[in-house]
Amino acid sequence: MSRIIYLDHAATTPVDKRVFEKMKPYFTELFANPATRWTSSISKKVDEAVEEARKNVAVLINALPEEIVFTSGGTESDNAALKGVAFANKDKGNEIITTPTEHEAVLKSVESLQDFGFVIKYVPVDRKGFVDPDDVKKLITSKTILVSVIHANNEIGTIEPVREIGAICKERNVLFHTDAVQTIAHLPVDVEQMNIDLLSLSSHKFYGPKGVGALYIRKDVPIVPYMNGGGQERGFRSGTLNTTGIIGLGEAAKLGKKEQKQRENSIAEFRDIFLAKILEEIPAVYLNGPEGDRRLPGNISIIIQGIRNEPLLVALNEKGIIAGGGSACSAGKKNPSHVLQAIGVPEEDLFSVIRITIGKDNKKEDIDFIVENIKETTNQLRALSPFWEG
Amino acid sequence: MYPEIVREHFTHPKNVGKIKNPTVTGSYSMPNLAKAIFYFLIEGGVVKDIKYQIAGCPFAIAVCSILSEYAKGKNVKELKNIKLETLEQFFEIPEEKEECINLSLKAFLDGVKNA
Repeated sequence: MSRIIYLDHAATTPVDKRVFEKMKPYFTELFANPATRWTSSISKKVDEAVEEARKNVAVLINALPEEIVFTSGGTESDNAALKGVAFANKDKGNEIITTPTEHEAVLKSVESLQDFGFVIKYVPVDRKGFVDPDDVKKLITSKTILVSVIHANNEIGTIEPVREIGAICKERNVLFHTDAVQTIAHLPVDVEQMNIDLLSLSSHKFYGPKGVGALYIRKDVPIVPYMNGGGQERGFRSGTLNTTGIIGLGEAAKLGKKEQKQRENSIAEFRDIFLAKILEEIPAVYLNGPEGDRRLPGNISIIIQGIRNEPLLVALNEKGIIAGGGSACSAGKKNPSHVLQAIGVPEEDLFSVIRITIGKDNKKEDIDFIVENIKETTNQLRALSPFWEG
Repeated sequence: MYPEIVREHFTHPKNVGKIKNPTVTGSYSMPNLAKAIFYFLIEGGVVKDIKYQIAGCPFAIAVCSILSEYAKGKNVKELKNIKLETLEQFFEIPEEKEECINLSLKAFLDGVKNA
């Protein structure tokens, strides 16, 4: 296979080889169910590995191991957090506050809660996608039970002022959830410092396997278990554990903790060089979301005016460059991005977005090649386009 | 990912651009999403030249190119009968791409109906 330059790390990342090595024995020799740890020595070993993984995830976000529940990923964690907290606290109030730029897993979860009498309030975002913590404060009433604000946006990379929002929630005695799927192991995350009560994370966004994630639930947070059965995960999430996945997640968390700063620095450097170059080389291109430290280190979301993103992505793929257009889950749909709409991107530009998300193994030496190919393809597509008056 | 002929016409589209004084034009658009415009030069009922502009998915681009090649030298009357199924002689039409293919086809037919 010819060389591939993968630039869609916000959609998913490859499993780190060290993570894969750690997982391997648990598919075959160490296959036992950790639930039978009191009667089987293999189970005991698997259980120990699962608990080591739990500890690694806890350490990564400065939580206690018993505050970590393993799930199937970010979507499940978001669903479990929002629905579980809503139903457990319905006697206290029925209002939930969130933003219009959340991942669909949050948006669709809160929408579904409307059918059960919950009222959803949306705090506005500005042109760069930022929530103003004061706006959250203004929306909180005596009926508010939960606030959910994404840590960093998966499409446009905006890092929200989660710590400040968490502090407001704490002061007003309202629970605070954050979807940190894009930031875990990419930015420092500390649930204590950031006043977070519930946090969703997903393994495959930081070099772990797909199909596994975790939900952090601060001790004593009232929450209804939503998956009933054999009582695994302290009764919160029944079902035989995805041991290989969990062990992979734990190893990815351990490596993420150790290498986070180094990854952040080199990825942000790639981002800034790349962005400067593309804005210089191609006319009528603009960035979605903020610049600098308040943007995810690996995220570049740009509008290339006058063209449509799909042919650009397909043409880049022909050249071995894999990038994204909007969020991964929206690809293939004709619906424009709700995030771009929320920040006020003009309608004619909504399908001109490309998202380049950088990973730890991308090489700065490739920047010129990538920009050159985007430029060449853009020129070809603009020459064809009735939307472009060149 | 794409049938070879679609890939070929998408990566190397033929007859791209505008005709200065076209006999007829045809267009079709999906607001803010995609648009195709065809320019026809017709002499004695025969397509002498054809060009187009297109912003759309790779299938839509490829279909513009394929139709432009197909139409050259043909009698307009014959072209009026083109349907989605006509394109099946070139490639198998995936259901989820019908809308994109139709975009280009509708722009093309909008032109020939006026010829």
